[in-house]
Parts: sequence; C-alpha cells; structure tokens
Amino acid sequence: MSLPARAATLVVAFLAVVAGVVFVAFEFIGAQPSVENYTPYASGGQVNVTMMTAAQTTVTNKPDWVTYFIKNPSTGNFDHTTYFAVPPNTRVNMTIEGYDGCTPLRNPLWGKVSGTLGNVEDVSFFNGKTYTPSAPLTTFDTYANCSVQHTFAIPGIGLNVPIASVTTYDENSNLCGTSPCTAANQDADSPHTVVKFSFTTPKTAGTYRWQCFIPCGLGYLDGNGGPMGTPGYMMGEMEVNA
Amino acid sequence: MAAESPTAAGMQAGGRRDGFWLLVLWIVLSVIGCLLVALVLGPHLPPGRQSSSAASQQTDFTVLGTIATPVVLGVLLYLGWALIFWRQKSGDETDAAPIHGNTRISAIWIVSTSVVVLALAVYGTIELITPAGAGAGQGPQPIWKPAGTTTSSLTSWTPGTSNILQVQVIGQQWAFTYRYPQFGGFETTQLMLPVGEPVQFNVTSLDVIHSFWAYTLGVKADANPGLNNVAYTTPQHTGYFQVRCSELCGIWHGSMYDTGDVMPVAAFLKWTQTTRVQLADVTKLLPPYAASYDPSTINNLGAVNVKLGLVGAGGGYYNPADPEQP
Repeated sequence: MSLPARAATLVVAFLAVVAGVVFVAFEFIGAQPSVENYTPYASGGQVNVTMMTAAQTTVTNKPDWVTYFIKNPSTGNFDHTTYFAVPPNTRVNMTIEGYDGCTPLRNPLWGKVSGTLGNVEDVSFFNGKTYTPSAPLTTFDTYANCSVQHTFAIPGIGLNVPIASVTTYDENSNLCGTSPCTAANQDADSPHTVVKFSFTTPKTAGTYRWQCFIPCGLGYLDGNGGPMGTPGYMMGEMEVNA
Repeated sequence: MAAESPTAAGMQAGGRRDGFWLLVLWIVLSVIGCLLVALVLGPHLPPGRQSSSAASQQTDFTVLGTIATPVVLGVLLYLGWALIFWRQKSGDETDAAPIHGNTRISAIWIVSTSVVVLALAVYGTIELITPAGAGAGQGPQPIWKPAGTTTSSLTSWTPGTSNILQVQVIGQQWAFTYRYPQFGGFETTQLMLPVGEPVQFNVTSLDVIHSFWAYTLGVKADANPGLNNVAYTTPQHTGYFQVRCSELCGIWHGSMYDTGDVMPVAAFLKWTQTTRVQLADVTKLLPPYAASYDPSTINNLGAVNVKLGLVGAGGGYYNPADPEQP
C-alpha cells in the first residue's frame, strides 16, 4: 500500500473512532429527557407544577421501574420526564399525584417535611371512591405506618417532601398498573394520594438537581441503581431560568 | 583519537569550573527558593489553618515543599547547565567522553538520598501521630486520639471539658447528614461545629462507600456501610467550610457537597437547642444512636407494612441477591 493510501486509511480510522466516541457520548451518556417549561405559565409570582409517581413505567422499555412523570403545561398530558423549568424567586405550587405503594424509609430523617412554605404538606387520600383530605402534615413515621412511597427532595435549597402513600393493605394491593395513571389508561381511579406543597425558587438562575431519597430501585444493589440512577425516573433537575 | 571531554575533567576548555559554579549556583538558588517556599508560599498552601489538622497538614506541605526545593532546583539547574554548556557544537563530531564509575559520588548519592527519605518517613510518622491521625479516618478503633480528651459521655457535652464532642457523619446517595448524640440524638443536614473544641467524627454510610472530605478542616474519612470510621480535629477559626464526597458514589456524586460552619461555642449551643426542638418530632423516629445501623430488618414495623411483606427499608440492604437485573 502506498504512503498516501496508508495515511488516508489512518485518518479515516481515526475519524471513525472519534465519531463513535461522540455518538456514544451524546446518544447514551449525555442523553437527557425533555424539559417541561413552566416559566411562560407563571403568573403573579406563582406557578403551578404537577407531577405523578407510578409504580411502573409501561411507556418505556423498563416497565418495572418506578418513575415520576411531569404534566406538560401545554398539552395537559403526563410526559415521561423529570426535568422542569421555572422562573426565579417564584412560588411553586407543586401537586404530586402519588400512585405508588408504601415502603419504610432507610433514613427516617427524610420523613420530615422541610423547605416548603410552612414546612408542611397537604395530602388528600383517595381510596378508589372518595378523597379524604388530611390536616397539614409535617412528619411521617414510615416504620409504624404504611405512609410514604417516595420523597421529592432538592438538597440545594433544603427542600424535602415525603410523598404520602395510601395507607391500607387493600389500597396498596390495588395500585395503578399502567402508567401514567390517567383516565385514558383507566387507572385514574386507582387508590392514590394527592400531595400539595409550595416552595420558593432561588433568586438566581441555575440548575438544581432533585431526587427521591427512598432507594426504590428494587433489584439493584442497595436499591440505588436502575431508576434511582437514571435521569427521567426517580431523579431529575429543576432549571431556574433567568 | 578523540580528545578527552573537558566535562569529564570537571573543567571546560576555556577554564570554566563547572562543578564549582554548579555548586555555588545551586546553593544560592536553594537558599532563595527555600525561603520563598517556607515564608511566602507556605502560608497560602491548602488546606489552610481553619483546624488543628488542617494547620498540621499545611505545615507538613510547607516542610516537604521546602525540602523538595533544593532537589528540584538541583535537577533543573543541572539540566539547564547541560543544555547550555555541554551541548554538541555545530560541526563537532567527536565522541563523548567514556563514563566510568565513581564510588565516592555513588556513596554520597546513596547516603544523602537515604537520609532524606528516612528523615521524611520519621517526620511523616510523627506528623501522623501527634495531630491525632492528622484528620484522617482511623477506623472504628482509633489509635491516636487528641491529647486530654475522653469519651466519658455519649449523651451530654459541656464545652471546655475533656469529654469530646461527637458528630456522626452519615453518607447516603446523595447527601451527608449529621447526627449529634450528645444533644438528644437529633439528625440534620447542617454541619455546625464550635470553635476551639475537639471533635470526633464518626463516619458511616447507609448505602455505598462515600468519603467525607471537609477539606479546609483537613478531615477526610471514608464512609463505609456498617462501619464507624473515626477522625478527629479541633476547629481553630470560625467561618464556613466545604464538605465534599471524595469517593465516586453514583450519578450525583458530583453534587454531593454542602457547607459547614465553625461558630463560637455560645452560638453552637444555641443552635443545638433550637435545632433539637425543631427536629424533636422526627428525632423520636430515628433508631437509637449507634456507630452504624442496618435498616435491612426493622423489628418494629407496623402491621400494614408487615402484611405487605416489607421487612426493612426500601431497596434491600446488601441483599445477597443483589445486584440482579430486572
């Protein structure tokens, strides 16, 4: 083979390797779920954000992974993502529809509501027929009671909210089986909770990661793999736009 | 026949005495360099002097840097001298001088480097022992404890006494929490320390291996599940300090950091009183204080949890079947 041919082969091989690395980096490592942009929907210094937890992710190729969904503010549908954007210094009125079952907390400290306005959350329990609202809750005893399914925590702003679960054996045995748990899937009437709380976003723009502090990646080492370690399931980011 | 190299004779053809001038330059540069490192650079070396262990580490870095300065300068000086004066002149195609062994130089080299290395080993050992482990994790049974301290009470603490302040550091994916057993056992996400009081960090983990690194305090200890890793320090100056996880522990490892605060003793006591009250409702839900705890089996689970087949905290805890793929 001539020298130019060998040089050309070397260059082509080098470029192929670089292209492979770039493809892997962007397609797999750097892949990020879509961002639900709530910023245009803020009004009067407030914005309403709605999320959902589900015991499975039947809309993906990981159907037995627990997950969060976020309501698309434009379409009203629940999209499979955990990334959302909100404006700075704004009161976020968060609603989380909790369709998963209960589990004890590994660290009971995360059973304490903190960082919300008033350090409380409001919960309404739906047993499949009727909603029963509770008084504002501050602390959950997950060892004594079947009371928490996940947490929604943004460590960077000191926010921790235990997502209350339905409390009885029968309710936990009849959870939503198709996600997202909506009327379209005939699962909206499954036993679930509706958790509401408010917090104020930081005054400066930035990206704040949030996560569940219950190691709910069943089947993985310490429950922290799988959905706990994959963007779009049990953790994500809150982007505070300028 | 090639002429004898002037460098081999220690004197250039022009009469320059290389060995002499190298020695003189090396001594002059070393004196200047050592003074600069010890007096100018040293006080700015990390991790600073916010705690006893940090101060001892900064002193160690200064000492090591000062000792290393003549070595580095000697190597660079010799290299530069060779490049400038001993390089092959254009058109000079004569062979270099043959190299012979020199017993005296070999002996000096071996002895001097041995002395330096052994002296540093002795110095390093002393500097590990005297500052109570130099802020490093010593495992569950620490050998070197701060002088004049005891662990006489795990349920109370009074400043200025020999009873050392206990702070449990709990790593979990992906946050550190801190428990204060001597103040009712409350657990919090805030790390507050009193200035001038020795502290015993009891570092453990609830899941994978993390590493507690309060770098401006000069404290670094791995957080292992089921194990208590003890480290000591005494904060010397008030102010904030950064805490980072320094063991790759998962996807949010890079975000596993927070800020601690060294404060006056009175402010610390006030903070403990306030926080104790604020967290009273969740403190009573925490397991009894222990060096570590394993939530894989929880004996006092409620009836619904038991009926649902739950035996411990979610996700399993070193389940022999893990990791299994879904």
